[in-house]
Amino acid sequence: MKAKEKLIEEHKVPVPPPTASQKATSVVGVSKRFGKTSVLEDITFDVAEGEALVLLGASGSGKTTILRIIAGLEQPYTGKVILHGREVTELPARERGVGVIFQSYALFPKMTVEKNIGYGLRIRKRKRKEIRETVNELLTLVQLEEHRKKYPSQLSGGQQQRVAIARTLAYKPEVLLFDEPFGALDTQTRHHLRREIRALLRKVNVPAIFITHDQEEALELGDRVAVLNKGHLEQIGTPYEIYNRPATEYVATFLGAANILEAVVRKSALEFGKTRIAANLDPEKFKDGTCVKIVFRPEDVSLSKTEFVKPGHHKISAAVVEEISFVGAYERVRLRLEKNGREECTTDDQFFLTTDTPESQSFKSIVATHPKPEASAMKLRVGERVVVAITSFTVLPS
Amino acid sequence: MSTVIPTMRHVRGFDVVRPLSIGMLVFMMLPLVFLPLLSIFIFGTSNGLDKFWAALTAPEAVFALKLSMATSFWATMFNVLFGLFAAYVLSRHNFWGRNALIVTISLPTAIPTAVAGFALLLLWGPYGTLGRFLAPQGIQVMFTAGAIILANIFVTFPLAFGVIKPVFDTMSRSLEEASATIGATRWQTFWHVTLPSLRGAIVSGALLTFARAVGEFGSTILVSGNLAGHTQTAPLYIFAKFNEGQIEAANAIAIVLALFSFLIFSVLFFARDWLDVD
Repeated sequence: MKAKEKLIEEHKVPVPPPTASQKATSVVGVSKRFGKTSVLEDITFDVAEGEALVLLGASGSGKTTILRIIAGLEQPYTGKVILHGREVTELPARERGVGVIFQSYALFPKMTVEKNIGYGLRIRKRKRKEIRETVNELLTLVQLEEHRKKYPSQLSGGQQQRVAIARTLAYKPEVLLFDEPFGALDTQTRHHLRREIRALLRKVNVPAIFITHDQEEALELGDRVAVLNKGHLEQIGTPYEIYNRPATEYVATFLGAANILEAVVRKSALEFGKTRIAANLDPEKFKDGTCVKIVFRPEDVSLSKTEFVKPGHHKISAAVVEEISFVGAYERVRLRLEKNGREECTTDDQFFLTTDTPESQSFKSIVATHPKPEASAMKLRVGERVVVAITSFTVLPS
Repeated sequence: MSTVIPTMRHVRGFDVVRPLSIGMLVFMMLPLVFLPLLSIFIFGTSNGLDKFWAALTAPEAVFALKLSMATSFWATMFNVLFGLFAAYVLSRHNFWGRNALIVTISLPTAIPTAVAGFALLLLWGPYGTLGRFLAPQGIQVMFTAGAIILANIFVTFPLAFGVIKPVFDTMSRSLEEASATIGATRWQTFWHVTLPSLRGAIVSGALLTFARAVGEFGSTILVSGNLAGHTQTAPLYIFAKFNEGQIEAANAIAIVLALFSFLIFSVLFFARDWLDVD
C-alpha cells in the first residue's frame, strides 16, 4: 500500500480534461454488439495530445473491443471514432495510421528487426535512404542497434516489445494502442518495462491508450484511467481521483481493497446505528433518509486502544480484532465491528455468508492496514477490543 | 550365464536388444523394400552402361519422361495455388458446410486411382456427361495431355492443401492485423507477411504433389489412351515395355523414376529445417 500511495502522489497534480483543440483521439457514443450480446454501451472518452490513458477492466469488460474499434479491426454498432479531428469510423485499419502493440507483439517472424521496423515505410514506398535513416533513429531510440540483424525469435520479450513499438513509431502514428502490453511477462520484467515505456512515451510525445486488467499497472501507467465494467464506462479520471474518489462501488472494489458500510442520510450527516459522521454532502443528490454506502480504503482506517480519536478522524465504533496478517510492508487487520443500535439500510444477506451464525451476522467485518512502525507500536492481538475511526471516505448512492 | 549377461549389460553398457532389434528391422525391410529397389539398379545396368544409356535415350522413353514432368508440373502448379486458396478460405472463414468441404477436398486420396480415371472418362469422354456436348464442337478432352493433367490434379488434389492448411490454422491472426494497422493492403499483407510464413509448407506441398503425380498410373492409363510418343507417361511406358518384353527399356525409366523420388524425399527430409526456417 505504501508504494502505491507514493506512486499516486506523483500524479496528484490533476491533468485537466482535454479541450477540443488538444484532442488526439475521441471515442464518441460507441456501442458494439456481437450477435445479440451487447459488449459495449455508449462509450465516450477523449485522449489528449501526449496523454496516456489506461482502459482498466476485468476480462469481458469490453476493453479489447474498444481498442480494436479505435484501430479499425472491428466496426462499432453505433458511435464515432475521431483521430485528431478526422472522423475515421468508416475507414479501414490501414488508412487510420494508428499504432497497435499487440499482446503477442505480432512481429513478422521472417523479417529481421530492422525489416520489421522499416515495414511501414516500405509499404508506403518511401525512399531507401529515408527508410534507412528512420530505422537507424528508431533503433537508437529503443536501444536495439546491436540486434538489428536478428529475427524476432532471437529476442527477449522486452526487446520484442520495443521492436513492436519502434515498428509503429516509424510511420508517426496518430495514437499508440497497447493491448495488455505486459501480460506475457514476469513480474520483475513487467515493472521494469512499465517505467521504460513511460519514459519512451514522454520522449516521443505520442498519445497512448493502454488496456489492462491490472489495477496497479493502470495507476502507474496512466495520466488518466478509465474503468470499464461489462461494457460500461464506470469512471474516468486521474489515478488519484479513481483511487480516492471512486464514483461507483465497482470502481472502489476493483481498484484495491475497499470497505463498504451502509448508512442513512440524516440532516446532512451519515448515520448508522448510533454512529454519526458529519459529511459535506450534495443535498440534491443525497436527500434526507436515503440509503448510501460509505466506502473507505483499509489504509484509511485508524485504530486506537483508547476512546480518544485524533481530530479530523471520524469515529465509527468499537471492534474486535479477528485476524492479523503480516503482508510485507504493512500489517493487515481484520476487525469485527460491534453492532450499536438498529441499522436502517443494511441489506444483510448481501454481505454475510449463510454459514455465519445469527450472532455473527449482526457484526460487520472490515479490513484495516497500517504501516510497520505503527503496527509495532500498537502491538495488537487477536480478540482485543479497539476503537475504529476513518480518516477519509467516499459516499456513494446505494 | 544368468549372472553374466546382466553384468555385461550394466557394466559395459551393452544391451543385446539394441543390435538385435536393429538387425531385425533391416532384415525385415530387405525383401520388402531394399531388394526390389536394388534389383532395378542391378538388372538395369547388368548389360553395361551403354545399353542402359541407349534405352534411356530412346525417343519414346525421352518423350514419356518429358510428358510425365510436364503434366506433373502443371498439375502441381494448379494444386498448390488451389491448395493455398482453399486453405485460406477454409481457415479464415467459418461457414455452414465448411467441414463438408474439407472432407470433400480430402476425398480423392481415398478413391482408388482407377476409379478416379474412370470417373473422369464418364464426365469428359466422348459419350460422357459433358464430353458429349463438347465432342460435336471438335473439343476432345480425354486421351490428350490435358486429360493426364486432369487425372493428376484429381489424385493429388488434397496433398498441397493438407500441408498448407495446418500452417494457416496455427498462424496468428494478429500478424495480419498488425500488418493492416501498419498500413498494408490485403495484397501487401499476403505478399509480405502471410506468404513468407507459408514458404516451407508450399515447397513441401509442391514436392509431395509432384512426386505423387509423376508416379501416377491407375488413372492415367484410363484417360490418356496410352499412345506411345503422344500420351504415354513414364509409368505407362514402363508398363508397356514390360508387356512387350523389353525389360531393359522398362528398367532404364524405372531407374530414373526411382532416383527421382529419392531426390524429392531427400529434399523433403533434409531441407526440413530450411523449409521451416524462422
